[in-house]
Amino acid sequence: MPETKMEVGKSAAEREIVLSRVFDAPRQMVWDAWTDPKQVALWWGPKGFTTTIEEMDVRPGGLWKQVLHGPDGTDYLNESVFLEVVQNERLVYTLTGGRKGGPMVQFEKATTFEEEAGGTRVTMRLIFASAEARDQNVRDYGSIEGAKQAFQRLEDYLAGQFVETTAKA
Amino acid sequence: MSDQITSTFAALADPTRRAILARLALGETSVTEIAAPFEMSMPAISRHLKVLEKAGLISRGREAQWRPCKLKAEPLKQAADWLDEYRRFWEESFDRLDEYLKTLQIKEKKDARNKNGSGKKRR
Repeated sequence: MPETKMEVGKSAAEREIVLSRVFDAPRQMVWDAWTDPKQVALWWGPKGFTTTIEEMDVRPGGLWKQVLHGPDGTDYLNESVFLEVVQNERLVYTLTGGRKGGPMVQFEKATTFEEEAGGTRVTMRLIFASAEARDQNVRDYGSIEGAKQAFQRLEDYLAGQFVETTAKA
Repeated sequence: MSDQITSTFAALADPTRRAILARLALGETSVTEIAAPFEMSMPAISRHLKVLEKAGLISRGREAQWRPCKLKAEPLKQAADWLDEYRRFWEESFDRLDEYLKTLQIKEKKDARNKNGSGKKRR
């Protein structure tokens, strides 16, 4: 069973959530599966989900609109705009997504494709940044080391505090 | 416009603010105490507290002199739940992608065999 790794805020930028996994397939094939709408619809989403792609224009500034249909009949809307497209290597887009009629979550997502050990490593970085965070200057970096430890504590706290989160069947 | 989860994560995107929240997880704290571990000016700390307050992650006492800050756990729980769900979403999507790539490669091998087997085509 391949491992999906997830890290929160441990990356260089200290403000990212990172997921990655290695696939046993050539990079070109993985890239195509990710960027060809016909193929995307075949695997996107958890078990039992289907995907309707309304538009997928894979180039900078291009739109990507799709609806995910959950097994219970719930629809989830995903609207994205591509920011960066580097053939076989890198896909960056802003994403607004959520349950139809519910609150929408917005973030930027950078997906990279790297050749690794005969396969392809796909790494997804989620970046949530307020305008204020983007404009912030480097003055604050003196505290990063301490903050890292503190964030670890926060994670531990969250893990302890919210351990009762039950998996929705 | 943007919802609670987005603003929670945007507020969490800054290491200083995460450190402040971690401090508040230990209990209600005065601004002076919050500022102590940081090599940062009071106004800078105040700005961070404003962001946290605006995102609904902390509440502040009313006494003008000593406005103690308190962690509000609900939005953090929501964000943690969302993260859980997101991870599950991708675990399963990755599983499906894995399966799909496997079938593609089997198909490719078959096609290659059929090509080599009979009726050689010149390219």
